[in-house]
Amino acid sequence: MKSVLLGAWAVVLAFAVPALAHHSPAAFDRSKEVKLVGTVKEFRWQNPHTWIEVLVPDEKGKEVLWGVELTSPTYLVRAGWKSNIIKPGDKVTVVVNPVRSGEPAGIFRSMTLADGRVLTERPARLGTPDSK
Amino acid sequence: MRGFVVSLVIAAIASAGCSSSTQPQPTASAAPAAADPPLEPGRQLSALAPSNLAKPRPKPPFEVTGNWFIDVSKNPEAWRFGPPYPKLTPAAQVHWDAAKKYTAEGKVYRDDIGQCWPAGLPLIMTRYWPMAMVQIPTAIYMISGFMNSVRIVYLDGRKHTDLDIIVRTYNGESIGTWEGDTLVVDTIGFRGDHHWMDQGGVAIPAGEQLHIVERFRMVDNQLEIEYTMTDPDHWEGEWKSTKRFNRVIDEDIQEVSCLPDLNEHLQSTTSKTQVLR
Repeated sequence: MKSVLLGAWAVVLAFAVPALAHHSPAAFDRSKEVKLVGTVKEFRWQNPHTWIEVLVPDEKGKEVLWGVELTSPTYLVRAGWKSNIIKPGDKVTVVVNPVRSGEPAGIFRSMTLADGRVLTERPARLGTPDSK
Repeated sequence: MRGFVVSLVIAAIASAGCSSSTQPQPTASAAPAAADPPLEPGRQLSALAPSNLAKPRPKPPFEVTGNWFIDVSKNPEAWRFGPPYPKLTPAAQVHWDAAKKYTAEGKVYRDDIGQCWPAGLPLIMTRYWPMAMVQIPTAIYMISGFMNSVRIVYLDGRKHTDLDIIVRTYNGESIGTWEGDTLVVDTIGFRGDHHWMDQGGVAIPAGEQLHIVERFRMVDNQLEIEYTMTDPDHWEGEWKSTKRFNRVIDEDIQEVSCLPDLNEHLQSTTSKTQVLR
């Protein structure tokens, strides 16, 4: 199984995606999803964005460092996250919307832990299905 | 002397008129207001000076004290102030066209907020973060959950600072006056660099001539702000937009900083090919 399935996960989202709190949302291709199967290198629980770095082997087995950005801890807590929910070395599967530039980076959609738990960001007390 | 003390007490009560009735009433202990030394010529009493706070004022029609969040329940893009957008000047059209072009190519054009420049008014009001507002008789202090940006709306009757000495800022200088049940806030004195009216594929600069008038009202338990914005350097006529904000009662703002190591780990903000200057 390929570690990175670019394109195979492509979907067209049925709703608009709001702006990120920090920077332009234009960098991300919300019509595509990429599945990253790898190992956590670092997890930073901070404002305004939490982020995860994941080492993902490519087709040739070379490890590529992917940057995954998430919303703020305030919203993650509401979705059941804790600051120690993952740690370096953990095996994870992360789904992201990739950046359009082709760099190994994306914005978080969901994460499956080794024990099968699936984590998402909290959709919204704001009244929209995908608010961040 | 007694009459003086009584007048101070009356002034203190008047100044506390917008406070909860459960709060203790001021007593003669409010007398330190008299201790404010005389001002030097040309100086303005601080909004927090006891003698300014103690001045008698009518009870305001409403209070905005609370945490507020842009209402995006009907439109997740409601944080934007357009569409509709006004007719742009050639100076602004250049940026609009460039942003559309680069967005179509999957690139980001001049995302200064992403590079940690202040969002500034008006965008600071509609970030996806709560805005804490604390209203006292002389001012409304606003602190955005986004980068802890501070905005002060003065209610103490002062005039705008002369433009030849004003220190230009991204949130500008805001003066509020009550008109019936509406708080009218007039803001000028903006920075005209790295300051934008929109983000994410839409680039319209905000310049030093930017003038924003906000009309605050309480409507259906929401805070409504009607925006009228002019900037003859960048668009023609008045740009109008009305926003509604919901109270947030289960969340306080936190310390939020845009730190260098953050962007180092967010490739979407650091790529040289992504953020075109």
